[in-house]
Amino acid sequence: MSKKRKISLSEEELVLSLQHREKIAVEALYDMYSASLFGVISRIINDTAIAEDVLQETFVKIWHSFSSYSTEKGRLFTWMVNIARNLAIDKIRSKDFKNQNKNQEIENNVTFIDEQRNTVYKPELTGVKDLVQTLKPEQKLIIDLVYFKGYTHVEAAEELGIPLGTIKTRLRMAIQELRKHFN
Amino acid sequence: MEDLKAYIESGILELYVLGDVTSAEKLQVEEMASKHPAIKAELDEIERSIELYAEENAIEPSEQLRNRILGSLLTNFGDDNNFPTQTHVERENVVVMQPGKETNFYKYAFAACLALLIASAVALYNLYNRLNDTNTQLNAMQVQNQHFSTTVSAKDNELNLLRDTSYKLIHLKGTAKSPESIMTVAFSPSKQKVVIDMGSLKLPANDKTHQYQLWALVGGKPVDLGVFDSTVDSSGFKNMKAIASADAFAVTLEPRGGSASPTLSEMMVLGKY
Repeated sequence: MSKKRKISLSEEELVLSLQHREKIAVEALYDMYSASLFGVISRIINDTAIAEDVLQETFVKIWHSFSSYSTEKGRLFTWMVNIARNLAIDKIRSKDFKNQNKNQEIENNVTFIDEQRNTVYKPELTGVKDLVQTLKPEQKLIIDLVYFKGYTHVEAAEELGIPLGTIKTRLRMAIQELRKHFN
Repeated sequence: MEDLKAYIESGILELYVLGDVTSAEKLQVEEMASKHPAIKAELDEIERSIELYAEENAIEPSEQLRNRILGSLLTNFGDDNNFPTQTHVERENVVVMQPGKETNFYKYAFAACLALLIASAVALYNLYNRLNDTNTQLNAMQVQNQHFSTTVSAKDNELNLLRDTSYKLIHLKGTAKSPESIMTVAFSPSKQKVVIDMGSLKLPANDKTHQYQLWALVGGKPVDLGVFDSTVDSSGFKNMKAIASADAFAVTLEPRGGSASPTLSEMMVLGKY
């Protein structure tokens, strides 16, 4: 039922109506991007309630700082996902979060979450199987570390014990694979 | 073009899209993108891939969260556009409410303290009054007690005196001047003591300028034994001056303080030993 009600606009229309602060733009923004953003946040933050809080903070920040976005800088989602990732990473590095002791060490989390989520959220992740087959495991690992875990490529290189150049190459190859897959 | 290809293949554009570049690198990529459409196109491709990858990995948040988030955004939305004045008032209210609560608390606390203080003061005052009453009563009891013990010891003395066989009781009888008068003198020649019984004394009450004086007649000569007053409530025994022997005792009314020799015309009682 909720799927039917979802509002979808083209990215140009959405950006324009967000710039004009139109009410419908807020709902469209949420319906179009909440799941993608929540997927990223949930892989950084294991705790669902905290991940939901971060998603809310993300939308509030997007809405309030929308004037700083321009289409020249790149795609809307790229801008938004960076906000979401930064908020999520700030959250897991904050004192509160550490004190709650709900987090696992980020290193241990890398593969754990995906294993967990893939089993828990299988219905929503149709299509991932294809993707998993497309990407080599080491490519998936590096893209997930950098994209979902907020690792810098330098940190990822240290974590995996791989030279920086190899990390960059693998990352590029992984994204090349994705491009092939989606095209 | 070779340079552009190398730049693209360096992987910097991927890192740029992932937000993993320094601010200098960021500026460089943006400059390159604005100069070279090929780089701009490459960046767009990378962004799309990453976006689709995120879509593939999407997790649908709960329906309640949609309402919560849209609610919070649309509340702000209203604040921003539709109801600026009302928003202001609401904010004013919020600001006023918080200290209001605090003030109320201190008000109540202060009132409670004041009430407690008043109650304590009243209780203290009552207690103080009762303490005073008790003290007064205690004093009265002590005085009474003292009076009793004095009386008892006086009675003891009297009893001892009466039991003492060396004393002889002499009843002095009224003279013609005062026939109703009567008094008792106890005399112990061995102890050289003269005591008069004030309890059984029956003499007209003397005024302030006069006093009764007791005399002993020794060999026909009067010897002063001291003065005393006769009042209605006089009681107990009264020791007079010492004397070893006496033939008789007499009492005369003399000016206050007594006289060197008795005024015989004012002799009230007389009794022989």
